[in-house]
Amino acid sequence: MSEKILLSIKDVSTAFKINGEYYTAIDKVSLDLHQDEVLAIVGESGSGKSTLATSIIGLHNMNATKINGEIDFNGRDILKLNESEFNQLRGNDMGMIFQDPLAALNPLMRIGDQIKETLDVHSDMTENQKNARVHELIDQVGIPNPERVARQFPHELSGGMRQRIIIAIAIANKPELIIADEPTTALDVTIQAQILDLLKDIQQENHAGIILITHDLGVVAEVADTVAVMYAGEIVEQGPVDIIFNEPKHPYTRSLLRAMPTLDTENDDLYVIEGSVPSIKKMDRNSDLFAPRIPWVPVTPGHPEIKEVAPGHLVRGENWKYFKFKDEV
Amino acid sequence: MAEKPEVNEAMAGVPKTPQEINEQDVVVSAPSTLKTVIREFKQDKVATVALILLIVLFVVVAVWSFFIPNSKVTDVNIMDQYLQMGTSGHILGTDEQGRDLLLMLIASAKNSLFIALMITIIGQVFGIIFGMITGYFGGIVDTIIMRIIDFWTVLPFMMIIIVLVSIVSKYNIWTLIGIIGLFSWQGTTRLIRSKVLSESDRDYVRASKTSGSSNVMIMFREVLPNLSSIIIVDSTLTFAGNIGIETTLSFLGFGLPNGTPSLGTMISAATDPTVLVSKAYVWVPAAVFIIVITVGISFVGQVLRRAFDARQRLG
Repeated sequence: MSEKILLSIKDVSTAFKINGEYYTAIDKVSLDLHQDEVLAIVGESGSGKSTLATSIIGLHNMNATKINGEIDFNGRDILKLNESEFNQLRGNDMGMIFQDPLAALNPLMRIGDQIKETLDVHSDMTENQKNARVHELIDQVGIPNPERVARQFPHELSGGMRQRIIIAIAIANKPELIIADEPTTALDVTIQAQILDLLKDIQQENHAGIILITHDLGVVAEVADTVAVMYAGEIVEQGPVDIIFNEPKHPYTRSLLRAMPTLDTENDDLYVIEGSVPSIKKMDRNSDLFAPRIPWVPVTPGHPEIKEVAPGHLVRGENWKYFKFKDEV
Repeated sequence: MAEKPEVNEAMAGVPKTPQEINEQDVVVSAPSTLKTVIREFKQDKVATVALILLIVLFVVVAVWSFFIPNSKVTDVNIMDQYLQMGTSGHILGTDEQGRDLLLMLIASAKNSLFIALMITIIGQVFGIIFGMITGYFGGIVDTIIMRIIDFWTVLPFMMIIIVLVSIVSKYNIWTLIGIIGLFSWQGTTRLIRSKVLSESDRDYVRASKTSGSSNVMIMFREVLPNLSSIIIVDSTLTFAGNIGIETTLSFLGFGLPNGTPSLGTMISAATDPTVLVSKAYVWVPAAVFIIVITVGISFVGQVLRRAFDARQRLG
């Protein structure tokens, strides 16, 4: 991990318009991503992980979305770019890996042409050079027989191969930033490990920064350098991966880790966090949003602020100091 | 007991280990679109007959009409008026002006089919462009174009076409195409819009966006190919409808200008009661021709529709 800050998100809030009213999905998120860093964003469904990713890469329909704050990418505020300036960046300096490898490939285009599309936009290579690069990329993501695969259609490939193709598209122009939105969720476990290895290899080769969005803590432990835990659209805890796993502070992080099944648990029952993430329309931004899910803990009035408790380790609120699980009280 | 060795002998012929399969030998391929279409036609005998009939008719009309001199279908020869079928070399007989009905039928069919084809092309091109724009961009653009279309579709288009045809002073086959074309793109726009709405929300469109593709590129490279099946089906079916519109106008006398034969004008001979009752050979061939073409096209269209939608397939 180098010292160069690649992406700096400052107080970014994203709100969606629902029936004419704006509802905040992400509330003042601040994050830094360095070159060569793998930053994992974890949280339940509905905690705003993907919304953050799509805010960075600009996939929101701006007719119904409001994004405030600042996202500095290599010193440029990308929220202030217009569509064509942004298109220069997307695919060239940043790439995205999608969750569902079948849906993210056009069913009617040959694999080779789909990889070539991003080369068409960003490079002035000749057709032969492009074909050579396509074969090189397919080879790089570990698929044998690139010439044949380039002529095939998505439905002729397996799920793992499709996800490799998605990765090949994302890295075609050697981007500095790769956003991986649950890249292994749709794959089975053996393929997951392969895809994660591939991502790591690519990151080391290209010196890219990766934002890895996942709800699989096993994946986080395996590949991430730093972790940001999100709940209800805000970061509740953030820090290096070993600290988050070994000395988690925030009740939510601790609950998440406790809910993860391990091989040596003797108890047959899994730990369950009570309740669920509040709906976007019912989030009261002036209260502690996680408090309703740990009702045995006394509620502190007002919205908790995020504070640095150790160098590089940020935790929201104060109640972690006296938080105990229900069965420990 | 005696049979046992025999069985073993027979087993010996089967190789014990499965043959090694080379990766190169394994060809994974789904049936091509053409194969699916052919398979669907095999399942539907009526449509196959219709397709063959259509091809034969189209080829005959397209080729033969080139060899019919214009004078044959415009010159009046009162001496040969209302000749019966098969008399003095006129296979289908002659009409009121003494013109050979077979030649008239071919020349009319050529005009009618050509007009219907052009209207279909106009309708599809504008329908696809407007449908893609409204469906893809949505928002205020969508609202404006869709409200215009709503307004347009409630207009009584037959009446307006008749009025336009009457007030345009010097009109020929192209002005007629233009006027009918004005009312041919709304249905297609709606259809394309609805499909684009669902397509442009798909992940592959978003993925293409993250590659930095511009909106125009996404619309034409990503979304358009995924619309090809409904475009093919829609253009086939609207083509049949457009033949009906042109012949209706010509029948009413507001279609093609005088001197340009049309299937509609041939049928309008039946407005004379004596022709209608006792000289059926004058108008029946043209009527049958229209019925065969439009019904045939819709059979073929149904087969295409089924072939492109896996859930509806028969074979």
